[in-house]
Amino acid sequence: MNLRSYLLLDELLKKHPATHKENRAFGLEHPLEQNRPIRQLFLWMEKHISVLRQPCIGDLFSSYVYTVTLILCILVFIIGFFSGIGLLGYSGQEPVNIIYFLAMVVFVPLLTIALAFLSMLKAHKAQNLLVHISPAFWMEKIAERLSYAKRADMKKIKIDPLVGNWLVIERSQLLAWVFSWGLVAALLGAVITKDIAFAWSTTLKVSPEEFYDFVNMIAFAWRDFVPEAVPSLELIEQSRYFRLGEKVDARMIRHASMLGEWWKFLLCSALFYAIILRFGMFLLAKIGLRRALKKSILSQKSAVRLLHEMNEPLIASTADGAEDSLVKTTQGHLQEIKKLNTLYDGVLGWSYSKEEIAVLSDAIGIAASFMLSVGGNNSLANDAYAVSRSYGEMLLCIKAWEPPTMDFIDFVQALSQQADKIIVVPLGTPQEAYQPRSNAVQVWARKLALLQDDKVWLKI
Amino acid sequence: MNFSHPKFAVVGHPNKGKSSIVASLALDDSVQISDTPGTTLKKRSFPLVADGKILYELYDTPGFQRARHVLEWLKKHDVSADKKQEAVQSFLYAHQEDERFRDEIELLEPIMEGAGIIYVADGSKPYSQEYEAEMEILRWTGQPSMALINLIDQADYVQEWKRALEQYFKMVRVFNPMTATFKKHLQLLESMAQLKEEWTAPMKISIKYFEQYHEQMLCRTAETIAQLMAESLAHVERLTLKDKEAAATEEKKIEEMYKKTLRDLEYKSQKNIEKIWHHGHLQKEEKSLAFENMDLFSKQSASIFGLTQKELIVTGATGGAITGAGVDLLLAGHTLLLGGAIGAVIGGASAYFGFEKLAKINLLGQKLGQKYLQIGPMENQNFPFILLGRALYHAQTVASVSHARREKLKLETNQAFKNQWMDESKRKSLYRYHKKFQSEAKIDAEDIKTYEKMILEILKKCINV
Repeated sequence: MNLRSYLLLDELLKKHPATHKENRAFGLEHPLEQNRPIRQLFLWMEKHISVLRQPCIGDLFSSYVYTVTLILCILVFIIGFFSGIGLLGYSGQEPVNIIYFLAMVVFVPLLTIALAFLSMLKAHKAQNLLVHISPAFWMEKIAERLSYAKRADMKKIKIDPLVGNWLVIERSQLLAWVFSWGLVAALLGAVITKDIAFAWSTTLKVSPEEFYDFVNMIAFAWRDFVPEAVPSLELIEQSRYFRLGEKVDARMIRHASMLGEWWKFLLCSALFYAIILRFGMFLLAKIGLRRALKKSILSQKSAVRLLHEMNEPLIASTADGAEDSLVKTTQGHLQEIKKLNTLYDGVLGWSYSKEEIAVLSDAIGIAASFMLSVGGNNSLANDAYAVSRSYGEMLLCIKAWEPPTMDFIDFVQALSQQADKIIVVPLGTPQEAYQPRSNAVQVWARKLALLQDDKVWLKI
Repeated sequence: MNFSHPKFAVVGHPNKGKSSIVASLALDDSVQISDTPGTTLKKRSFPLVADGKILYELYDTPGFQRARHVLEWLKKHDVSADKKQEAVQSFLYAHQEDERFRDEIELLEPIMEGAGIIYVADGSKPYSQEYEAEMEILRWTGQPSMALINLIDQADYVQEWKRALEQYFKMVRVFNPMTATFKKHLQLLESMAQLKEEWTAPMKISIKYFEQYHEQMLCRTAETIAQLMAESLAHVERLTLKDKEAAATEEKKIEEMYKKTLRDLEYKSQKNIEKIWHHGHLQKEEKSLAFENMDLFSKQSASIFGLTQKELIVTGATGGAITGAGVDLLLAGHTLLLGGAIGAVIGGASAYFGFEKLAKINLLGQKLGQKYLQIGPMENQNFPFILLGRALYHAQTVASVSHARREKLKLETNQAFKNQWMDESKRKSLYRYHKKFQSEAKIDAEDIKTYEKMILEILKKCINV
């Protein structure tokens, strides 16, 4: 993963180009990638990349970063080269003190590598001081002033602080590496074009033997493979230089060809500390940046959701279509009666047994010339018989808690042909002392009203 | 007949809760449910679909209207037991266009196409012989069947219903769609799996998917709550000033703006959770599931969901001591454990002084530029527990409420809820993350993930998963 793909994916995720169903279908098409979220996201990006408007912000930004980095690289190479030329400047009057050059190719790189390492450890913090003091960070700030960076679409880009930190760390290592190449180029150029008398000089009380040990320590990485690039004790003794007298020592002039031998050591030091080690740091920073990009993308809400959509089964248990809207059957007219008489021509019990009818007639205080059970478990022939026997004023007792069915309505219609008046009496359960609930009575009232039959009455 | 996946037709007398059972099992609150008989006009299919594959299908059907007429028609064709199914089929052919038997055709069709029968009866009403015609017709279809006793009201006639239903059905279960937990749903699915040998394996797979589905909903709920917490606690409100100094009204205004944003975030999060659990009807109602008369910043909310001052001081002191102990450890104990002691004092003191305070109002801006007031992030250390408690309670209610429920739901609770999920160790762990969210630094994605896991665990405990 690189910055460009990170930005493209980020831009695409914000556009939600596919539905949950399409994303799941994509996940099922690539079952092997299920445990490789980044790979899965990339494949998904490849499929939907055409959705992005050209030129994409990701392309613009990465090209901007590339341009700025290239300009900065050229600049630091030139600075490195001229710094090297300056450090190796030899007038013929005074030898070149290798300590300065060593400082630039060994000590400064070691120090900055240590700082870079520390900033890598702290890169997850948004406010990372070590990142903010990096030259790359400030060079970037200056580059932001350029008209290129002021474009409206470029300003839209918001980089995750974690990615931003790693980007600065990575670029710092690249720039330092290029700077070191400038130093190496200067060294090679100077060695080829001039005869430089290298020497070492220090105010400190250091014996040649001690300095030899020190040089040997610096050369630990190559002393066994390239022994000629490690100065001998004799060379160190010969190349010690004191500025007193403002003249080059006669002893040094005698061994002029020997003094030039230092360049091999300086070149190896530069190559090892400033080039190889720095390149190692650059690679480390690149790995860190790649991991930061991955971490950043995987912590985005939209990416997490997309991965869920791709990898989790799409389960639905609801109905596809909407239900036909309920037709309210409240029209119609129904006559109501509040008080029952004591005597009726007949009592019919819908879904009541004969015994139950007798009990409930007693309970509600009515008498009739006949009582018959209808509905319920009775056959249709039974019901027809009951209808045939009916006449005059009939009571039809019903279980209020049961809903009216069309079977009941058919019966009432048939009864209406025979009787003069039908009083439907909704009753509650024996536990409720046969008192029906009002909402249940209303349900029956609505149904009976639909009959629009003047003979049908409801006891309320 | 199509045996590609198990099918079940939920049938019965009108108004006995068939649609409620289907709504509850399918987690679909779009089903029309009312106390008026005949609400369901046409059969409706509710498939459980996983990745485009139907695992099983439920049918909601209209109730029997002329059962005795159908049975008489069948009995007229006096046939041997092996021909009874054909007789029912003949009835369907003969009455396809007959309006009088529209409901019977609608309910018998899926059964004759191979659906298992789930006969629903209301166990809160006395048993009546008028049901026998329906049960007899279902017996004629020859399809595997079971009965569910639904309890619509308080009265209990379950035993007499059981005795009657056992005469007709292989299996009789009591299932109340209004109160059934997720475990009860799964148990019912397991019973349905036993109706036919061929259905056992696909239904077991369905149960697995259903569990996964439930887990997905829980995870999304935890995500939503964690997001609410992180956003609310880190929120910063700004108000540009007209003058160089802030007037008291402006301070009051920014505080109100701040509170409103937090209330809106809570409301938005509640809506999301209701959507995750397919409770669309709760969303349609204005202020549907809000805590009535219990504002987020009210004392009542604080007393029910928040910590007591003592609990908060102990939590703050422990949190501070842990941080201080880290310093002691770093210095190999050379601090004589002073780090831990100082941390405890600072943590306890900040909890004590921050008990009532909401958030600091700062006057910010350049000397020459415009000045503005800023409030936030949240400083009150009790507020995160109040917000979290309310979110958890809301989520628990939404996750547990039946999809068959149509009445307005009220959120009423007491302190017992807090004790149900919060113990000392949870309080301390949550406190640590709340402090992180309350700091002005960018919230680490890893922290949110860990917090989400904690919320998921608590949710599972609350919902008894």
